[in-house]
Amino acid sequence: MNDPNKSKRDAEFAAKAKGVFDDSVERLDGAALSRLNQGRHAALEELAQTKAPASWRHWLPAGGVAAIALVSVMVLRGPAVDEVPDEVAADFEILLEGESLEMFEDLEFYSWIDEAALHVNGNVG
Amino acid sequence: MELIEARTGHFAVSCRREPETGAGTLQRERQLNQFFADVERRALRIAEIAVRDRDDALDLVQNAMIRLVNKYASRPADEWPPLFYRILQNGIRDWHRRAKVRNRVMVWFGRETAGDDYDAVAAAPDPAGRSPEQELQSGQAMQRLEEAVHALPGRQREAFMLRTFEGLDVAGTAVAMGCSDGSVKTHYSRAVHTLREQLGDHW
Repeated sequence: MNDPNKSKRDAEFAAKAKGVFDDSVERLDGAALSRLNQGRHAALEELAQTKAPASWRHWLPAGGVAAIALVSVMVLRGPAVDEVPDEVAADFEILLEGESLEMFEDLEFYSWIDEAALHVNGNVG
Repeated sequence: MELIEARTGHFAVSCRREPETGAGTLQRERQLNQFFADVERRALRIAEIAVRDRDDALDLVQNAMIRLVNKYASRPADEWPPLFYRILQNGIRDWHRRAKVRNRVMVWFGRETAGDDYDAVAAAPDPAGRSPEQELQSGQAMQRLEEAVHALPGRQREAFMLRTFEGLDVAGTAVAMGCSDGSVKTHYSRAVHTLREQLGDHW
């Protein structure tokens, strides 16, 4: 059976411990508070970052369907299936893969690589 | 999907998710900001008492915030406190495991371990408009309490800090510790008994 006096003393002890602890929390120095603030904002930035790719992924299937529809229209309404240029087919392949889109952000870099390769092979200059 | 079962009628953690809309996301961000602002200082002190290093404690708290956002931001806000402390306690346990391994490696290489050179007085908070006597009394009481709590077995320390310092109820503490309500009561009772024996009723 529980001793009511012990329970009371335990509660008093816990209350005092809580008071002393809260006191130390209230007196945290500015450097610690600043780091906590930075940490909080870093965590909230994660929330924004996790939202952005999610919305992009949300539209990816729609983009894929649109690209497939465009290819279908070109194939069905075009002159002939075997006249679709290889470059166009390759472009659609890249678009449908979805993960190579960031390459287009570095088009200057890739054109520079092409030119450099031509110089090395002695085809230019 | 991680599912933590409901434990009592007082507190339940489920796999419920709040519906997401544009306005809902902004509201969620504000709620999370408010929740972190409410809890971060106590969380820092709890982590600091457990690991006795302020920089590491700050890292642990920030990691807990980030993980809560990544894994549980869509959960109802009333479920965040025990989930946050569950993440934090897991981080603290990992910290202790790594510290043990680090010490074993240091001993194996014949080097002395870092030891516990944490100075609770040096890390004590700044005064806030109180008399030197009050400051001294409170600082000394906290130093003795901090050392006694740190010396408790890990699970007792967790139960005591979550129940007493953070104010979680038994069910919330059970979620945060990943154990049953009965275990929380046992750990907490033993912790209070040990602390009272060490510090006395009028420390």
